[in-house]
Amino acid sequence: MSVAVGTDKHGVKVGTPDVKSVGSLAFGPEGILFVADNAGAQIFAIDVRDAGAAGASRPVNVDKLDTRLAAFLGCSREDVFIRDMAVHPSSENVYLAVMRGSGAAAVPVLVKLGTDGSLSEVPLEHVPFSQTAIENAPAEDDARVEVRLVQGTREGEERQMRSGGTIRIARDTLRTVTVTDMAYVDGVLLVAGASNEEFSSTLRRIPFPFTGTALTNSLEIFHVSHGKYETASPIRTFVPYGGNTSILASYTCTPVVQFSLKDVKSKTHLTGRTVAELGSGNTPLDMVSFKRGGQEYLLVSNARHPLMRLACQDLERQEPLTQPHEPEGAPRQTLPHKGVGRMANLNGSYVLMMQLDDAGNVDLRSYSTATL
Amino acid sequence: MSRGRPLRLAWTEHEGRTCLRVRGWTADELRECTGLAQLVPRLVVLPSALTKAGLDLRALQPVAGRFALDGDALCFLPRFPFLDGTSYSLLLFPAPGDGRGDPETWTIQRPARTGSPEASVVAIYPTADALPVNQLKLYVHFSRPMSEGWAARAVHVLRADTHEPLGDVFLRMEPELWDADRTRLTLLLDPGRIKRGLVPNQEAGYPLTEGVPVVVTIAASFRDAAGRPLRTGAARRYQVGPALRARLDPARWRLHEPAIGAIDPLTVEFDRTLDHALLQHALWVHDEAGAPLAGHGAAGPGERSWRFQPQSPWKQGRHSVIMDPRLEDLAGNSLMRVFDRDLMRAEDAPADARHVAIDFTLHACHSTQKSATFDA
Repeated sequence: MSVAVGTDKHGVKVGTPDVKSVGSLAFGPEGILFVADNAGAQIFAIDVRDAGAAGASRPVNVDKLDTRLAAFLGCSREDVFIRDMAVHPSSENVYLAVMRGSGAAAVPVLVKLGTDGSLSEVPLEHVPFSQTAIENAPAEDDARVEVRLVQGTREGEERQMRSGGTIRIARDTLRTVTVTDMAYVDGVLLVAGASNEEFSSTLRRIPFPFTGTALTNSLEIFHVSHGKYETASPIRTFVPYGGNTSILASYTCTPVVQFSLKDVKSKTHLTGRTVAELGSGNTPLDMVSFKRGGQEYLLVSNARHPLMRLACQDLERQEPLTQPHEPEGAPRQTLPHKGVGRMANLNGSYVLMMQLDDAGNVDLRSYSTATL
Repeated sequence: MSRGRPLRLAWTEHEGRTCLRVRGWTADELRECTGLAQLVPRLVVLPSALTKAGLDLRALQPVAGRFALDGDALCFLPRFPFLDGTSYSLLLFPAPGDGRGDPETWTIQRPARTGSPEASVVAIYPTADALPVNQLKLYVHFSRPMSEGWAARAVHVLRADTHEPLGDVFLRMEPELWDADRTRLTLLLDPGRIKRGLVPNQEAGYPLTEGVPVVVTIAASFRDAAGRPLRTGAARRYQVGPALRARLDPARWRLHEPAIGAIDPLTVEFDRTLDHALLQHALWVHDEAGAPLAGHGAAGPGERSWRFQPQSPWKQGRHSVIMDPRLEDLAGNSLMRVFDRDLMRAEDAPADARHVAIDFTLHACHSTQKSATFDA
């Protein structure tokens, strides 16, 4: 159980969050770090109290980051699983979500990479935090409650029926939502996830400070492929852009789809505009936005295809795709950076990229936005 | 190299955790202030494999932890537990002023995990004999909690005739889709290849081929949560039939109703195979007052039916089978939508149903199925 005492800003209380795994990361207001815990079906908001002097937007370059993490965590390179990366908005320290080991021996660790390349563990004991559940917990009065009636008293809880009788119910925990990406936009944490049962595309909108599940609402997202077929699919990765007026979402099935955040706020069912397709046998890995010369650009890293750059103004101009032929869609430039996985914007001046080299090493590289 | 210094490394327990105990120090080295304070900054612990990673060992941040004096031994307490089966090295760098020579090194290995395999594959769903060519999901149930990271390596789909593996069948998910107990793995067949009109479908076609039977195999190398392989691998053979692309239609289901006063099961027979996982909680039965009946529902053979066993005898009057609109068939079609809907087909327009009730009335002498209603 997580224990928390005292109250602080943003609804966080000092305590020890019961973090079972670490996955997607996103920074919120004033250095609040959101951490998706898929094994524990929670999202934690942790005040990492990293008020260090404002960074000077210096580049961060670390050779063999995976080897250095393995040394620090006392394991082999194969036992280091880097799940996500986020940059603290003021200190510019890089935060890494790392699973060390696997199975029963797996240990979740948040690692802070200083601008000087030093590694330190982000404490998870006696820290200001709050949390919210990410399992699809139904409302009390929802007829579709995912509970099952159980016999005996070994499991479940007793409920009084309107008819006067009692039944015993247990919550079904089989169905879980695995968070694939998160972003904080104007008081709301946007959470994309994949269900381990139904095949749907749901963007959860969780107001922050967390207020419980009552205000959490979900947006069913559809996209039309080539003017002919409408489909839903889990969002793999997404990025807000245009001053948080839009998001660009990339799906497990490769279309890149644009949504207006104005619509996201007001609707529960939304059809986006397919603006590009990334081709077969490919999985989008991450997206990041940056500005250069007054123009905003997005980078998309891919499992098989090279790193791609899209100009936001091209996305705005792009008509919905109607023909399934490459390279239709918004113009994209292929960049030469090899093996790019996770990316993050380093306070506007640089884009951080985690790159896998030919020998299987993971290097962290900073690239000036002027060169991208 | 250890240049003859007689240090002895051993594993020991300290405050409930395994620590590395190092003995063989000289009396001078152990003397507070004059020895230890100078010694500890020269000592680091590293996983042995990383000492050969081509990095400057002086600059490499060592295993997080601290040294503590315990009698004549110096103990290293790691921040994160030592991993079984992993070799660790203690490095002693030359004292300042002794130049920048190589450190003296001692190595010790954690015992490997022992124990014979215990986990096995309990089931592979669907259990139906045939899959549609646009099959979307498979579920693998294990008898024990499993490790993540093995799905892509240990689950394969082969042509049943040639045993040739089919490439890029599954969507690579990171993280993998497990249930909370880590005993059920959900595998998605690449949706980009299944969805009509998308480039992957145009270029590579469906992951499966109609008329070409396949075998889904789970290799014994799949690791359980303790890192042990399976007792044995598992496999299931499927025929591959035509694409399935229509919304679920409960009006085509058949109800086999029980007799009043009996505690016989109610059976709902489907017109097609439905998703096993969703069947576990997407259907239930209400009485006339709208209250759920106590009992147990389960998928029938081949996921072609659902059987509800009540706790109490059936009573006369109207009942309803309630269906969660998220229930899907093997190809991801639900009551609400066709998996990839052809916009020109009006009959495939998405429904906005909240749930569906299939009403049936149990009479004293006979029963009748009434209707399926969509509650918005």
